[in-house]
Amino acid sequence: MQAKAAVNQKSGNTLNNAFASHFAKSMFLSVTALAILSFIGTRMFTHVDLNLYGYMVGTIVFIGGFFYRFIAWGERPPTKLILKKGLKLLLRKSTPKTSVEHLATYNFIWNRGIYRWTQHVLIGWGCILSCFVTFPLVFGWMYFTMDDNGHYNIIAMGMKVMTVPADGIIANLSYNALNITAVMVIAGVCMALYRRLKNMQARAEQKFLYDFMPLYMLLLVSITGLALTFMNIFLHGAGQPAMSLIHQWSVIITLIYLPFGKLAHIPFRPMSVLARNYREHYAEQGMKECKVCGDQFVSVEQSKDVVDVLCVNAIEFKAKEGHHLAEMCLPCRRKYRIAQFSGFPTHEVKVKEANQNAKG
Amino acid sequence: MKKRLYLELENCIGCRSCLAACTQCGGHEERNRNYVYDVNPLVNRQTMPLMCLHCENPACARSCPAQAIQIHETGAVLSALVEKCIGCQNCTIACPYGIPKFDHEQNLMYKCDLCIDRTKDGISPMCASVCPSNTLQWLTDEEIDNKKKQFNLDNGKWVTSMPYLEGETNVKVNLPGILQGITKLF
Repeated sequence: MQAKAAVNQKSGNTLNNAFASHFAKSMFLSVTALAILSFIGTRMFTHVDLNLYGYMVGTIVFIGGFFYRFIAWGERPPTKLILKKGLKLLLRKSTPKTSVEHLATYNFIWNRGIYRWTQHVLIGWGCILSCFVTFPLVFGWMYFTMDDNGHYNIIAMGMKVMTVPADGIIANLSYNALNITAVMVIAGVCMALYRRLKNMQARAEQKFLYDFMPLYMLLLVSITGLALTFMNIFLHGAGQPAMSLIHQWSVIITLIYLPFGKLAHIPFRPMSVLARNYREHYAEQGMKECKVCGDQFVSVEQSKDVVDVLCVNAIEFKAKEGHHLAEMCLPCRRKYRIAQFSGFPTHEVKVKEANQNAKG
Repeated sequence: MKKRLYLELENCIGCRSCLAACTQCGGHEERNRNYVYDVNPLVNRQTMPLMCLHCENPACARSCPAQAIQIHETGAVLSALVEKCIGCQNCTIACPYGIPKFDHEQNLMYKCDLCIDRTKDGISPMCASVCPSNTLQWLTDEEIDNKKKQFNLDNGKWVTSMPYLEGETNVKVNLPGILQGITKLF
């Protein structure tokens, strides 16, 4: 029986055993996937846009940094827990709604302020749309061909999706997609910079490398990108080769820096959907009752998980009464501390906490 | 000169100036992050303030899956970074003192950051700057040592630590001597 279990375990791990580390496995799989997708998308590498090979190399370096950063992060006990349990709950009915609210319309940022929401939508959607245009072009998942004069074929993943007149709306939107997103990003970044210069809290907390650098890089990418268009249209291409190198450099630096700075929240943010699912699912399973007042304040599962995570960190808050401090609701936990300070059991007096919200 | 927040709990007169001052700190967006509790509300008027004690090993930050709670070089445990906080509320469960507040609308945790915009430059936090009864003070370690000399304590417990707290903290709390059965000289 034991031997069988051991064999099962071994066969289950063969894929992992083939690689030296998570990092090696993730890198291998993603570079292989990129190569296969490009092979299909470019019809066996016959439509590779070699102008863009610098971006290709930059992307692969970026993926290296991305996996380095995020595998290390995913190994933290609380992160691992939410990722593991959250992914299992990904098929909940509420997932699409939560995802749209958290990742597309940013409702929670709206509640933090309309100015911040506007700036975030401009920068966020500007960047996302740019990525949807840029990466397919770089890896050859999308390209254009021309059969009859005056009509473009849009080819996606090697298949002709549609044929559009070269001076039509769709064609013009395709040519100018990156110009439009550049304007969006420039507007958003200017709003963000203005806020960072004016808002006292932001001024106190911001750091050049963490807060300003990503904004300046986005600005550089957008301005050099627009400059390319400007040079093509108004200068008949003068200076274009040099500017395209500057643009390429700025994009690659931004990509490589992304996992290590403020922009790391872009690939990282979908975890808020996992966290929401985790909270909703386990709240339905059963709520924890406060050991003092009996109020239901958190799911049983999360309470247990937090206690376990703290244990891993060698932190254990046991109350004299034998339960863990995490098993008390927040007001009771605060009163319990007052009780420790004063020697009088404040938390046992059945009076609701009063006047805790000063209206400044 | 490094200063720290120092609490003399029995001085509290329950005026809640510290709550009002907290709302006025830059970035607190007119919401206070500290608390004032009645010790024995049905019997007397003794109150005590409670705020983040800025643990040296903060449970909130340890339990945060998003690394949103950063520890400043001054030792202050900062409020959640707005772009990182994923709204899981682990920190509210982990904190042994029940300090972090959660805004469901903004999907964001916020807590006392020791007015980091002020304290990083050595200016006292808002709560200590307005406290009329010297319950909340902003002192250097030397000044705290001088205070110690005014007291006649026989149990070696000058400021709280275990078992009244759950670990070492950056904010120093001086327990009410009378309630603990310890002589104080004033």
